[in-house]
Formats: sequence, structure tokens, C-alpha cells
Amino acid sequence: MLPLSLLKSAQGHPMLVELKNGETYNGHLVNCDTWMNIHLREVICTSKDGDRFWRMPECYVRGNTIKYLRVPDEVIDKVQEETKSRSDRRPPGVGRGRGRGGREEGSKPKGVGRGLEDGGGRGAGAARGRGGVGGRAAGNRGGGRGR
Amino acid sequence: MSGRKETVLDLAKFVDKGVQVKLTGGRLVTGTLKGYDQLLNLVLDEAVEFLRDPEDPLKTTDQTRRLGLIVCRGTAVMLVSPTDGTDEISNPFVQPDGA
Repeated sequence: MLPLSLLKSAQGHPMLVELKNGETYNGHLVNCDTWMNIHLREVICTSKDGDRFWRMPECYVRGNTIKYLRVPDEVIDKVQEETKSRSDRRPPGVGRGRGRGGREEGSKPKGVGRGLEDGGGRGAGAARGRGGVGGRAAGNRGGGRGR
Repeated sequence: MSGRKETVLDLAKFVDKGVQVKLTGGRLVTGTLKGYDQLLNLVLDEAVEFLRDPEDPLKTTDQTRRLGLIVCRGTAVMLVSPTDGTDEISNPFVQPDGA
């Protein structure tokens, strides 16, 4: 379970946010992002010493000023459900794609990567990687994909 | 990915309204929001800074000084909230007062 996933599933719940300067903010989480920036509604702000209080309808807290957050216990049940359903959704089969040279016909795989290293010889390098097809399409193939 | 949705709070609804901004280091500024960008740089008009306790710079007092038109650098912005509806209140976390 990732901290930010927990936070995301805590949307709509009451929570306490303590900032690095010691101020605390109690409110309902409206939204949060990948920087832990947080939007709270119906907030009660407490000073560092805990002797002054303010209420504000909403506030935006920058993520990098947060020391910690207290979230209600029930959120943990939600986040576990969500992570489980996410892993169920993962499509079966191996991740393919990304890279060429899957079907080598006799040629060694070294021709595949060459286009990356030397720009000058890329036409030739790419053509070798393509094996049998290379003879026909060497010119435009090598030029288009050899970056 | 939610990476490119820059802000969780749409500051558009605060434009031309009073906002209170806390800055890193302890400064507290209020003013009318005139503009902003995705880095949270803010333009505040008729900005007023709440002066701080000389002994404890993290504590603000009720003394103010007028700053006029200012730009708040986004990296220094800690907290933004509307001044409308923001009030100091007595302790809302009431202890069980049986004793």
C-alpha cells in the first residue's frame, strides 16, 4: 500500500494534517495530488501551541509543508479493496512490445541496437536488424527508426 | 496518470476575492487575489502582512503593515484559504467537562 494511495482513498473523510511548523488542520479531504498537495473543506486550524483556533471554509495546503496526516481507521479497508481490484484488472500475458528484433532469421541480434549508437551508419544497422525484410525496405526503414 | 493536473484547488474561484496566504518562514499575508499560475505564484493586491511576535517569529500578532501589490513566489506558499468565512474561534475540541 502506497502512502498516496491511502490518501487518495481517504477523499471525503475527515483527517488531521500537521504542518512542519506545528500548526494542525482538521478538515474533510476534498482532493489531493501526486505532490501531496491537499484541499480540505470545513477546516479548523490550531496554532502550534494549541491555544488559538480558526475555522475556515476551505484551504489548500502545499504538500511539501506537511509533517504527517492522521486518517481514520476505516480508510485502510477501502484502500485494500481498491488495491485488490486493481491487481485483478491487470491483463494476462507477458508484457510485449518495446524493442525490435523479435524474429531473427539467422542474423545475430547485434544489428538491432546499432542505430542508437552511431547516427551515421544507422541505415545499414537498422536494415540488418530486420533480417529478411531488410533488402527491400532498407532505405526508409533505417532512416525513420534509427534515432 | 494524474500528473498533469497541476492543482487540486482551482484558484479561479478566488480571483478578485480575499485570500489569506501563509508563507514558509511564518509570514502571513492577506489580499485580493488578482492572478496566479500553475506554480502557485500569486498576485495579491492591497496586500496586508500580519506582523509577528519579535520573540516568536512563528506567531502572528494583530499588528499589520500594508504591502500594496505583491507577487508571492509559489515555492514559498504554504497555505491558501479564503478570508471570507475564516474567523478565530474558541476551542472547538471541547474536553469532557464533567470534572
